Amino acid sequence: MKMKRFSAAVTVAMLTVAGCGRGTQTSQETAAGTPGAADATVAQAVTDFPRPAKPSKAYRIGVSIPHLANPHYVGQAYGYIDEAQSLGAQVTLLEAGGYEHLDKQVSQVEDLIASKVDAIIIAAVSGPGTIGAVEAAAAAGIPVINVNVMTDSDKVVTRIRSDDDVIGRMQADFMGERLKGAGNVVMLRGAPGTSWAEIRGNAFRKQLAAKYPNVKVLGEQYSQSTPADGLRLMEDFLQTFPQISGVYNGADSTAVGAAQAVKGAGKVGSIVMTATDFQLDTEKFIREGVISASVLQQPVTMGRWGVRAAISYLEKKPVPPVMFTGLMTATKENLDSLDLTAVRAPARWTPPTR
Amino acid sequence: MPAVIVALAIVFGSINPNFWSATNLANVSRQMSILALLALGQTFAILSGGIDLSVGSLLALVSVICAQQMKNFGLFEGITAGIVAGGLAGLVNGLIIARARVPPFIATLGMLVAARGAALTLSGGLPIAGLPREFLVLGAGYIGPVPIPTVIAAVAFVLAHGILRRTRFGRYVYAMGSNEEAAVLSGINVANYKMLVYITSGLFAGIAGVILTSRVISGQPTLGEVQELYSIAAVVIGGGRISGGVGGIGTTLMGVLVLGILGNGLNLVQVSSYIQNIVIGVIIVGAVYVDLARERRR
Repeated sequence: MKMKRFSAAVTVAMLTVAGCGRGTQTSQETAAGTPGAADATVAQAVTDFPRPAKPSKAYRIGVSIPHLANPHYVGQAYGYIDEAQSLGAQVTLLEAGGYEHLDKQVSQVEDLIASKVDAIIIAAVSGPGTIGAVEAAAAAGIPVINVNVMTDSDKVVTRIRSDDDVIGRMQADFMGERLKGAGNVVMLRGAPGTSWAEIRGNAFRKQLAAKYPNVKVLGEQYSQSTPADGLRLMEDFLQTFPQISGVYNGADSTAVGAAQAVKGAGKVGSIVMTATDFQLDTEKFIREGVISASVLQQPVTMGRWGVRAAISYLEKKPVPPVMFTGLMTATKENLDSLDLTAVRAPARWTPPTR
Repeated sequence: MPAVIVALAIVFGSINPNFWSATNLANVSRQMSILALLALGQTFAILSGGIDLSVGSLLALVSVICAQQMKNFGLFEGITAGIVAGGLAGLVNGLIIARARVPPFIATLGMLVAARGAALTLSGGLPIAGLPREFLVLGAGYIGPVPIPTVIAAVAFVLAHGILRRTRFGRYVYAMGSNEEAAVLSGINVANYKMLVYITSGLFAGIAGVILTSRVISGQPTLGEVQELYSIAAVVIGGGRISGGVGGIGTTLMGVLVLGILGNGLNLVQVSSYIQNIVIGVIIVGAVYVDLARERRR
């Protein structure tokens, strides 16, 4: 375990964050049709979106997100609700109950249309699966703001997300450096049909192939992206490939399960594990050295910008077509010095359960 | 039960006037159409003294097959393949139940798991995107002010009612569910009619799967989780007896309306989806209890 490699990887990470948007288009084509990624406007993505003036009208905004079982979405929910408070808007927050409940999200969006909200914000359970619902909203004259997980429909006002391509490359760079350019990794991609699982996973593979050709990908699995999935898939991977030296996670929801499997197999220290996001268990496993690094998104910022975009649009102010929220890398070294205000909801905050 | 539905509608309507808007009524009926079709098939299965646990998973299998064939061969071929796939899965259920004499609960439980697995295998776990835009019309379009899925479900209800009330098959479904031994002794070919019951259920799941595929304009191997349980709930809430022989299309319609109006109404009056689940759970048990209590008093 060569600790000095960290700083190099982190620096790479910071640099890529600073320059996000540069040349990220080319690596984003996939078989499933990567939601939102083919946008020609990705290169012009803005990386800041200040709060607009408080409107005189109290707007009603409907929000539909995949679930609230991961603190990532709790942070996002906080962003929506806190920002709406500042802007005098009212938020109806709906969650579909998991990536397997596409039909529920479609119904929820239809209910929001029927209750005549002023704007709809959606983090899509499935890219292709939400086309009909989004276009029904657009046809009803309700603007749709797409946050975090992209819909394949182009009838959206704006797309607000992380530069998922950079997240994949950051994990690949960290993995390649830590494995000193040679090793065998497996991938827990996340939920099939979501932009994040596709773009991050593809970027990870592409970056490894280009920069670290001796780091081989032995296998990859999609799942509904829960800790239980991560545990089960990782246990099976460890049986199938005893030579595993690295594990990629599209999201930390699988990583916290996979970490249990690695601990259970007594392989802590001999497997490099990377992830995205920062739930409390992820922090704990980084501290224990089971998870080596995680790329932190800014779900709170995503939520805030979503509400800002909705209100700006309703107030007829300009809204950029693509916006990227920031990223940073958490490792054992910098755990206690991270600014988490844009990453997590306040400690005792709970979302109004819908 | 009709009184309960009217009461629900009045309460929701007074809290949120949008409940009565034409948009929302179209909306509720469209959302209910999938469950309605599944519940129709389930009605046949339960009335005959059996059960069909596979209908939720069949939605996923039908969705994947429909989308794949549509991409390969075209719109009409995809729709046909989806419905046929549902019917074939029903035939397999029927063969296992009627010929191999495996209890319906076990046979369709096997299909529940296997059909999900088949959907994931055929699709590689990934959604199948890139279906023709015109296909969206089936799930999102209207005939006059009425959504197309609503029209399809309504036609299916009339058809199913006709089958149960006016055909020999329908009478035998009741006969098998009331007393299977008596049905055998009176010379009914129980095995054949049981197969027909599960084929019917599979076909309705096939139609529902095709509509759902259109609503999400993609093949999705994860669709339909726990929908089989809601379809059973719809049958029993309206007054269908879980052990068979009692009930019909009318009682199932009541059950579908209660579940559909509750789901949509609670969303519109902003009740948490977690609390909604508690409410629906209480109503399932409560409705059956009231029914039984009334029967005992007679």
